[in-house]
Amino acid sequence: MNEHIIKKLQNIVGKQYVITKAEEMICYSYDGTFQRGLPAGVVFPATTREVAEIIGLANTEKIPVFPRGSGTGLSGGSIPQNGGLVLVLNRMNKIKEISKEDLLAVVEPGVITGDLHQAVENIGLFYPPDPASLKTCTMGGNIAENAGGPRAFKYGVTSDYVLGLEVITPTGEIMRTGGRTVKNVTGYDLKRLMTGSEGTLGVVTEITVRLVPKPKDKKTALVIFDSLDSAASTVAAIVTEGVIPATLELMDKLTIQCVEKNARLGLPLDAEAILLMEVDGSTVQVNEDIGIIEDICKRNKCRKIEIASTLEDREKLWKARRAVSSAIVQLKPTKISEDATVPRSKIPEMVRRLQEISKKYNIHLPVFGHAGDGNLHPNIIADKSDPEEMERVEKAVGEIFKAALDLGGTLSGEHGIGVMKKPYLKWEMGEVGLSYLKAIKNAVDPNNILNPGKIF
Amino acid sequence: MGDNCKDILNKCSRCGGCQAHCPLYSETGRESFVARGKIELLENLQSGNLDWNDSLAEIFSTCLLCGSCTENCPNGVRADKLIMSARKDLVTARGLPIIKRNIFQHLLKYNGRLNKAGRLLSVYQKSGLQKLMRASGILNMLPLDLGKKESLLPQIVSKSFRENLPGLNKLSNPRFKVAYFTGCVTNLVKPQVGYSLLKVLGANNVEVVIPEQFCCGIPAIASGDIETGRFLAEENIKQFVNLEVDYVIMDCATCLSTWLKYPELFANKEAFDLAKKVIDINRFLVEILDIKIFSKELGIKVTYHDPCHLKRTPSGRSSPRELLKRLSPSYEFEEMEVSDRCCGSAGSFNLTHYDLSQNVAQHKVKAILKSQANVVASSCPSCIMQLEHSLKKKNLDTPVKHTIELVADCHQ
Repeated sequence: MNEHIIKKLQNIVGKQYVITKAEEMICYSYDGTFQRGLPAGVVFPATTREVAEIIGLANTEKIPVFPRGSGTGLSGGSIPQNGGLVLVLNRMNKIKEISKEDLLAVVEPGVITGDLHQAVENIGLFYPPDPASLKTCTMGGNIAENAGGPRAFKYGVTSDYVLGLEVITPTGEIMRTGGRTVKNVTGYDLKRLMTGSEGTLGVVTEITVRLVPKPKDKKTALVIFDSLDSAASTVAAIVTEGVIPATLELMDKLTIQCVEKNARLGLPLDAEAILLMEVDGSTVQVNEDIGIIEDICKRNKCRKIEIASTLEDREKLWKARRAVSSAIVQLKPTKISEDATVPRSKIPEMVRRLQEISKKYNIHLPVFGHAGDGNLHPNIIADKSDPEEMERVEKAVGEIFKAALDLGGTLSGEHGIGVMKKPYLKWEMGEVGLSYLKAIKNAVDPNNILNPGKIF
Repeated sequence: MGDNCKDILNKCSRCGGCQAHCPLYSETGRESFVARGKIELLENLQSGNLDWNDSLAEIFSTCLLCGSCTENCPNGVRADKLIMSARKDLVTARGLPIIKRNIFQHLLKYNGRLNKAGRLLSVYQKSGLQKLMRASGILNMLPLDLGKKESLLPQIVSKSFRENLPGLNKLSNPRFKVAYFTGCVTNLVKPQVGYSLLKVLGANNVEVVIPEQFCCGIPAIASGDIETGRFLAEENIKQFVNLEVDYVIMDCATCLSTWLKYPELFANKEAFDLAKKVIDINRFLVEILDIKIFSKELGIKVTYHDPCHLKRTPSGRSSPRELLKRLSPSYEFEEMEVSDRCCGSAGSFNLTHYDLSQNVAQHKVKAILKSQANVVASSCPSCIMQLEHSLKKKNLDTPVKHTIELVADCHQ
């Protein structure tokens, strides 16, 4: 990067907050995927003003900017392309306010999602979105990707909680959208547009999120099934009988076998599916819900059901789910985590199609995910150093997307498009949809400064 | 890099989960400090995209080897092992820094020289020369903040613990016979820990033999000088293997964890047999002796800091706590927040990266203050020195003691 631009950046944030050493920049060439791209500089602003100045400078000098939180994304959204500046927001990590009266929190984008959870739960409040990386990922990143998580079935995703945003526009101006009220129909709903815009339309520098009261009680059930169909009809029955569990996780046979081989928790190797469900709410509600669930599972001929109330016992049941990630990479080292999502009623059909795809391309494809919202997370387990296998993987990914769209679903439930799903976007959005997206991008970012090369 | 390490490298998915557990990332917020960044660099080195250079040497020196990332990695990536292996590669490619080379290869290998160096330092500290140096301001003229670091130098004893003692305290009908590996810090800086250990074991009818011994090797191994590490391990194994003892006792968590790794350095029977006998003093007192302590009511509030090197060994978390609870009512145990977080000492890291190390330690200082403990206990002399220094830096006079010192206090 040009010497005088580096000087200007150093003047904005201070010398020690600009990285141009090759070795250190390599550490900003990746995210949670196997995509890579080297930046020409990395900058760490501390204030809204600094972010605005950096973007303003980039716009004048026509330097692409790649915003980044903790770099845990799963679609390549924060990865720099063809040089450019990585804008790391983790120094802006203050929780500015938690209001019990207005039921909201105001945070900077670098706040770790899990830290916000802890802070609000300490005073009896609750921020539901819970992406798996919550101990590491940032609120800014959650806004950019519109992150979800297991609790989405009952509580919704990030965009359902965003009340207001402060945004730096691609030309370096400061804009506020939304505010501190649940109701707000003044002008276009820009906060919704920003949420999930993957860093292409603006950089969020302050976030106001809605909070809810923390549920008083929880109960967890782990249920083993001999057939995938009975697990699926259990899910259907639970929903039609009016119970909405906070989490409803499905593990298929291959996943169960991996976990058991790796963690030895006593799971049956011949089981076809496991459902892990958690209900929360008042004690009365929780007891009633878990009773209904137990009844439905038995009617659907489950093999075994275990129910836990205390934190310790619940953790024991969660162990199986938490062991999945490390267990499946024992098969092969490269994990390609997809998040194609289908309507709830199509889950059994989707699982069957995934099994066919796995056979057709001879790849490991364990399925475990959020059955409640149809966000199944098929994970392709491969070896990135085997180019022949990676070719099969690419074809399989295409078929997974096709299957999801066939069944009325979507390419991405919560990871975003980034660079990984770009080639498939047209399948879902069509020409008209795609040019609508591009028109918006061109209108607000005429120089294509912010996160170019992403989404489309 | 061996195949084994390449396999570990392959397992990292770059999820970034290590960020939540790395004390250095939490201070700096920089990817080059956390396991994921280092693993990416190792892959670049592996593929020939990078060669070892000064920047990389600096980056790979910034790891506490506390093992938190490894313990919490969802993919089971043993990052600590990778860092060690990287440091070894670095030494092979570029050699050791001159200071380390002199210390490891000319001092650690020779007990006579180590004791002499200790005595010299002790003379410097006691003769008034240190006072003079400090008062004169000469120290402040030293490069690299050495002036600040000089105050980190522990007070060295004029005669080492082992030189002051017979090799064996014979008992007529002992319950157990044990060998005692004192570790360098107890030997040269904290002899009171050694005396406490002897007092407690003697009072409980345990015969203790203290054979000739060398540094456990960790300073060299952690810096990538595996050759010196092996030499020291071999010498120690030679000294201990023929002793007719039931256990080999350690009061230093770091030495303990090094001894437990000797079989990785030498896949021979002696190393394996000895590793089976090696036991931490806390665990020995609780699980083997099942020690009963009758103490008077003092009600001193004590909290505990987990040394990284002890907490992941068998009963490494539970036995020191159990031991402290048995000291009631003399001492009342109170768990502090982040009790198992690394103190930032990490061998010579607190010298080479003083400010960063102190920033890591401040989390412990805060937790100690919040616990309102009158005394802090731990089970690793290095952690104890670090905590003492960082408390003093904040003008706090809370004493930091080895658990065995507190047990000895209750044996009147």
